[in-house]
Amino acid sequence: MMRNVFNIFCKEFGSYFRSGMAYFMLMIYAVLSMVAAFFGGYYFQLSNYNLFSFFYFQPEVFTLLIPALTMKLWADERRFGTLELLLSQPLGYTELVAGKFLAAWGFCLLMLLASVPLWITTAQYMTLDNQNILFGYFSCLLAAGALCAIGCTVSSFSANPVTAYIAALAVCLLLKVVNFDFILKSAAAGSDLFIRISHSLNFDSHFASMISGQINAGSIAYFIILTLLGLWLNVVSIGYKRS
Amino acid sequence: MLLVQNLSKSFGNIRAVDNVSFCLNNGEVTALLGPNGAGKTTLMRLITGFYGADSGDIRIDGCDINTARTQALSKLSYVPETGALYNDMTVYEYLRFMAGLRHMSEQGFVDNLVYLSRQLELSDVINQKCETLSKGFKRRTALAGALIHRPGLLILDEPTEGLDPNQKFSIRRFIREYGRRNTVIISTHIMEEVEAMADRVILLNHGKLVRDTSPQELKLLTPDHNIETAFRSVTEEGSGAAQ
Repeated sequence: MMRNVFNIFCKEFGSYFRSGMAYFMLMIYAVLSMVAAFFGGYYFQLSNYNLFSFFYFQPEVFTLLIPALTMKLWADERRFGTLELLLSQPLGYTELVAGKFLAAWGFCLLMLLASVPLWITTAQYMTLDNQNILFGYFSCLLAAGALCAIGCTVSSFSANPVTAYIAALAVCLLLKVVNFDFILKSAAAGSDLFIRISHSLNFDSHFASMISGQINAGSIAYFIILTLLGLWLNVVSIGYKRS
Repeated sequence: MLLVQNLSKSFGNIRAVDNVSFCLNNGEVTALLGPNGAGKTTLMRLITGFYGADSGDIRIDGCDINTARTQALSKLSYVPETGALYNDMTVYEYLRFMAGLRHMSEQGFVDNLVYLSRQLELSDVINQKCETLSKGFKRRTALAGALIHRPGLLILDEPTEGLDPNQKFSIRRFIREYGRRNTVIISTHIMEEVEAMADRVILLNHGKLVRDTSPQELKLLTPDHNIETAFRSVTEEGSGAAQ
């Protein structure tokens, strides 16, 4: 099984580089993350012992970029007719889905690694809480995994990468919209239960609690469950096409 | 090698494949004939596991396509009508990827690569990107990808579509040769191809199997002993009883 997953992973991960998309995405990620950290996150004004200014805007950056990473994963297979070829190979649907997901998630890891120079540079000027920063990176990876799983699933419903991008962006934004308490409060007219449910589904609040250094099992479970749910839906959608 | 029993598949109200049964042995090249919409492509997609059947069984070398999907698919290769390739890969990368999906050893891959490059005249384009290949080379690369692990059952949808006469001749000769030791199914509209390659003809009309015979016997159905006239007379008389 692992060999099949690895083959699909290599194909998709290599595809980012063969198409030149990898370099473009890495550049955009670096620019967006740094602009967000320096100007939006008040990097120079705040005491960034845990790189909070950098981590704080990662969900927004990922929401914009991850749908671009996942949009082609299934949509192109349908568009160019290679899905027929791929599904006639002796591979399980789970292996296919896992390979493609890991390629996108692996690329997110590469994007995060591109931000390590910021960590090193900041360490020259102040004493950092490295443990907290490592946990921040771990949180980013978990959040990216959930968004990748959502993006992969959405991509499997469309043969057009642009449609897949817009739809995945919309779903990711929806997860973030439930973050806005003022909308919830006005809409639910003070229903505590509704607000509590929406908070438990809230992407940003789980992420914010993690990057603030709180090791919260609930938040970790939230991202893992969201990822597994996305992957399961992806497997179901591929199986559904067969039936 | 291939056993198809009472196979049916509908799309809404359209019965694309209607209670089709046949058995193919090793050393046979079988032509799947029928007018447009007769159910040829659907039948091939059912055999390759791309579609799930509404009812009926498909067994490849004794392995059921539903209960032992990956085992069954490991014994076959399929080249869709589109001859779909991964355009961002070179011919070598594509063949390597296909070999990886079949868990081939390095030595086995190299041996088959050398053999297929010579047989299908791919040596000059081996490092060329698939998107830059001519239609003829694309068809041959797709065929090489299907043959890289020497499958026992080879299924080809319109294998010589878009090829020039020289290429058609060499591909037909190759398929004929390959079919001496393996099972080959070709779907085609070209009657000259049936005469040149097939040992057996399975004729479909409106999803039903209307003739299962040899090209020679099919020709005898009409006074002029012409396979094209025979094809027309069988398909125009509607869905006759399966022989």
